[in-house]
Parts: sequence; structure tokens; C-alpha cells
Amino acid sequence: MNSWMINNFWIKIVSLILAIITWFYVNEELVKEKRMAKQLYKSSVVSQSQSPSYGKKPVK
Amino acid sequence: MNDYIFLTKMLIEIGILWFVYYGILLFARGTRGVYVLRGIILITLIFIITKQLGFDRINWIFTKIFALSILAFLIIFQQEIRRGLANIGQRRWSRFFLKESEIINEITTACFLLSKRKTGALIAIERETRLENYIESGIEIDAKVNSELLITIFTPNTPLHDGGIVVAGERVAASGCLFPLTQNPKVSTTLGTRHRAALGLSEETDAIVVVVSEETGGVSVAIGGRLTHDLDRESLERVLSNLYRPDKKNRK
Repeated sequence: MNSWMINNFWIKIVSLILAIITWFYVNEELVKEKRMAKQLYKSSVVSQSQSPSYGKKPVK
Repeated sequence: MNDYIFLTKMLIEIGILWFVYYGILLFARGTRGVYVLRGIILITLIFIITKQLGFDRINWIFTKIFALSILAFLIIFQQEIRRGLANIGQRRWSRFFLKESEIINEITTACFLLSKRKTGALIAIERETRLENYIESGIEIDAKVNSELLITIFTPNTPLHDGGIVVAGERVAASGCLFPLTQNPKVSTTLGTRHRAALGLSEETDAIVVVVSEETGGVSVAIGGRLTHDLDRESLERVLSNLYRPDKKNRK
């Protein structure tokens, strides 16, 4: 177990750092995307409710 | 509960990413791809940092460079990528169950018989870094390691005796392989090409390289850019068994 840690130690450390950076970067991007999608949804609901035809029955 | 699930997922995802990065870095180590990979990692880091700091113009430039460098990487290293993907499917899992002591015994026997006859030999033993590039530079053999085969390969005036052989797992992967010569200016000028090649390969990869001198019959081992001269049979066996089995307890 100990030798497994020592073997290519620096490659393992660099890989770990890159993995952590990538995870946090992608996580942040995903959070931003979700936030943006929510805002878009809210704004579309608001614009729909403000339109003159909102709540009226469609004319047959 | 949700926090616990999120943390577990995060650790698993980081673990997967670590495994992928580690595989890529190991695969690239010892090949020309490592320099390009370093460049891409550097550009990526600058790209992320500039984005975090809000340097939009610098970030724009790096976004373009990053996109181009990915494209360049795919074009320049298409062969390596193809080989790497093929290796995933063909990974030699049997390596975990090898009888290292037998292989070490065969290599040691061959080296000391060649040493007695003062026949030069150059044997690279693959560890974690793949030696595919060097295997491709030689003639593929893919045979079980045994002393008779090794002695036959290094017999002078035969087609395969020039260059080195690569032992990968329990197989002699190729012979007549070309290894890079060391560029270290501190290396003694009295060293011959065979020893320089052994040093060169050990500098670029984590391979164990055994050299038998044609002039003196001395057996040397190059590991991590260091050459240990004139080993006796027991020392060679000890060195090989310590380094060829990374999980062994008496590793130094």
C-alpha cells in the first residue's frame, strides 16, 4: 500500500489537483446554467402573465 | 442526508476524474506528447484563472488558443490517441498475476551468461510507463521471457542483436529497439552508446534498464537516470525484485 502511494507520487498529486480544479470548475458552470435556466423560466412566466391574452379563454 | 449524498457523489466524481488524468499523464510520460500536454494544462489553468478573475479580454484570447490547441492536439497525436484507446480494451490485466521471480531469474541468468561471453546487451523492463513508442521502433517479438531467447537475441552478427529489447509484463515485446541517448553533460565520456541509451531511457521513463558491457562484461542497471555499475548476480536479482514488484515490502 505504501509503495503504491510512493510510485509516481507527483503524477498522482498533479492528477488529483487537476481533478479537483476540473470538478469545481464544472460544478460552478452547472450551477450558473441552472440559475440562468430558472431566471429564463421566471421571466417567461412573468411576460406571459403580462400579455393581454393571459387568462382569457381562446376564441373558438 | 442530502449533504452526505452530495459529498459522496463529489468524492466519486473527483476519483473518476483523478483516474482519467492519472491514466493520461502516465500514458503521455516518456512520449513527445508530454510537452504538448503540459502546454494544454498550462493554457487551461490560465483560462480558468482569467475567467475567475474576470479578465474578459485575456479570457477571450485564451478561449481561442484553447480551442485551437485541442484541435492541434487531436491532429498531431491522432496515432497516440488511437493507440491509447485501443490499449484500454487490450489492457494486460494478467500483469497483476505475473510470476515476477521467474522472469527476474531468466533475465539475470541471461545477463550473466552474456557477461561471461562479453556479449553486449540492453534490456528495458517496462513498469508503469508504457514503452510502446520504443517497442514500435524495433521488431515485434511477443514471446515468453526466457534466458535462451535473450542470449540468442544478443548473439553478435544476428539480425536482432542491435539495439535493446523491451520486456513488457511477462513477454519480450520487441528487440532491436532504439532508446534515446542521455543528454546529461555530467555523464562520463567514457560511457559507450549502450550505457548512454540505458541512461536516456531511464531518464525519460520509469523503466529498469539492464546493460551488459561488451568491453568489460560488467552488468549495470539504470533507474531514474542513475547508473549502478558492475553488479553481481545477487545484487541484480535484489534490485530487480525490489523494483519490479512495487508492492513488495522491502522496497527502498
